[in-house]
Amino acid sequence: MNNEEKGDSLQPEDIPSTGIGPEQEMAELSEAGPEDANPSVPIAIENPEAVEAIEQQVDADRSPSLSVDHEPRTDEAASSVAVESVSVKKPQGFLGEQPLPAIELAPRVLRYRTRRDVLFFGAGAVAALAGAGFLLPQNTISRMGVRRNMNSLGKEWFLNKALRIDDDVAEALYSGNRRVPTYTKSQITPLKNNYNGATPDPGYISGWNLTLDGLASGLSISLGIRNLMTRFSVHEQITRLVCVEGWSAIAWWSGLRFDDLLRAYPPMSQAKWVRVESSVNLDASGNPDSYFVSLDLVTARHPQTLLATHFNGQPLTVDHGAPLRLLVPVKLGLKNVKAITKITYVAEEPRDYWAERGYSRYDGI
Amino acid sequence: MSHSTPPDNEPNSTSTLPEQPGVLVAKKHHLLVRWSHWLNVPILLGLILSGISIYWASPVYQHNPDPNTGNFDVAADIGIWICARVPGLHHYSSPPDWIYNHTSLGPGMLGVALRLHWLCAYLFMLNGMVYVAGLVMGGGWRSLLPRRTDLFEALRMLRYYLGIPFAKLGRRKWLHPRFNTKYNALQRAAYFSVPVAGFLSVATGWAIHKPMQLHWLAALFGGYNAARVWHFWLMWVFILFVVPHVILVFADGWDTLRSMIVGWSTKVERAEVIANEQ
Repeated sequence: MNNEEKGDSLQPEDIPSTGIGPEQEMAELSEAGPEDANPSVPIAIENPEAVEAIEQQVDADRSPSLSVDHEPRTDEAASSVAVESVSVKKPQGFLGEQPLPAIELAPRVLRYRTRRDVLFFGAGAVAALAGAGFLLPQNTISRMGVRRNMNSLGKEWFLNKALRIDDDVAEALYSGNRRVPTYTKSQITPLKNNYNGATPDPGYISGWNLTLDGLASGLSISLGIRNLMTRFSVHEQITRLVCVEGWSAIAWWSGLRFDDLLRAYPPMSQAKWVRVESSVNLDASGNPDSYFVSLDLVTARHPQTLLATHFNGQPLTVDHGAPLRLLVPVKLGLKNVKAITKITYVAEEPRDYWAERGYSRYDGI
Repeated sequence: MSHSTPPDNEPNSTSTLPEQPGVLVAKKHHLLVRWSHWLNVPILLGLILSGISIYWASPVYQHNPDPNTGNFDVAADIGIWICARVPGLHHYSSPPDWIYNHTSLGPGMLGVALRLHWLCAYLFMLNGMVYVAGLVMGGGWRSLLPRRTDLFEALRMLRYYLGIPFAKLGRRKWLHPRFNTKYNALQRAAYFSVPVAGFLSVATGWAIHKPMQLHWLAALFGGYNAARVWHFWLMWVFILFVVPHVILVFADGWDTLRSMIVGWSTKVERAEVIANEQ
């Protein structure tokens, strides 16, 4: 509203001076005076009658959408006339800057357009503010001093929708044949213990077993680490593990290919997803907090998706998920489950630990 | 003046000049350019606020943990420094979070910040396409292209800006250099760089968002970690552009601001100068 008033009050100044500079502008004006009379100056005169007729029509209607519809028509009509008169006289290179087409308007029309567009602008600003209030996290809003609860199902739905679009884009980008870059041993960087909660007590390792469920045979299979390490061929790779937080580490991993396990114990035919779970995971206060991720079978079959048993040439330590961890370099680190205890093949997308905490589910990188 | 418009029933034709003095206006910015220009404000704000929240989770600039506080984040150090020295902030509840509390959605909200960042990033890319479409449709792109004379002209503009305070002090006349183009060389450099920075932000954003599928893109920027640094500093290009941009628009006056809202400028003499000099 304030803007609108400002616009109106400034108008009379604009019309006589056509600028802001003091002395210089006067000089330019006196120069421009005779040029105005020059017939070669490209000035299209817009019929004030016609513009006013439109203006009145819009005024009578008071419909914003209608007035938007009108603008391009009059503008294009005006500019096309002007461009024509310029281009006939001044052929320019393709890259050359072309003069701005000038048209003559009744001051009232300019004022009307200004008022209308500034109102639109104000409405847009209000809409943007409302949108920000709607989308900002509750914590941020509270910190700004707003005590009201602005959380809504709509907000979650909308943000998750945007996240799904990004996941779909990631899925479209994914190619099963595309290998991730591999590095040399000299490029290896340190990898911290990134257990989100407490690091489990190594006691679990001695009784560790991997359970397979959702197999074509209908059986539930339990495999020991020795069995896994001796039955399958060992693959090595030096790849980058990228965390959702932004840090990354290049590490040397070895283990069996997930694809080899899938061949040895085929999943049921309708399975499209894998649920990879670690029941030894703990929360920050040391209580059991099962960690589980969803993984699409296509990614599980990727040749660089390993069930790793070794890190930098040594058997995995507790920090890095002894005795068996998922290493899926085409996904964010949070899908690389440590100390896997169970693998289940399912038809529908299974739950995902971090997706339930507001992160993406696909996490393809 | 508007009250003296002729009544509608008075005969008038296209060939006669309007009875009241008309205003000469030039169409400065295409509708799509104007829309995308203003949409950039909330989108970039959303990208920066969420981006700094994402930065918090794993700061690009960090050092070995401080033996006393365990702090490793340079931005947290700056917050501690500010709270220790700025009067009134001595009792700030969490000095290491001061920067994040004032420049981002807040610390410890990576998940929600990522979701907002992706949302704004897709809107930013769409908006960038609208902007380019507006530049092409309105022909405005020609005014943004760098020229051979730009270096010299930019120095002239710099000299002008640097001379303003001295001229004011000495109450001397200090004339704005004249150009027969839509923008002066400094403006052109700025308005050309910003879309380039936008493009690079999107490219580095994709490079760090999909460093495996698009590893060639990350490699173009020197790898994953380097692309993160690029992405961080490209944010500063926008910030460093916006500050003088806003100041100079207000200094230049209502006509310039209006031309980005309404599209028309009444500073027409420049357009005429182009037409007449060539």
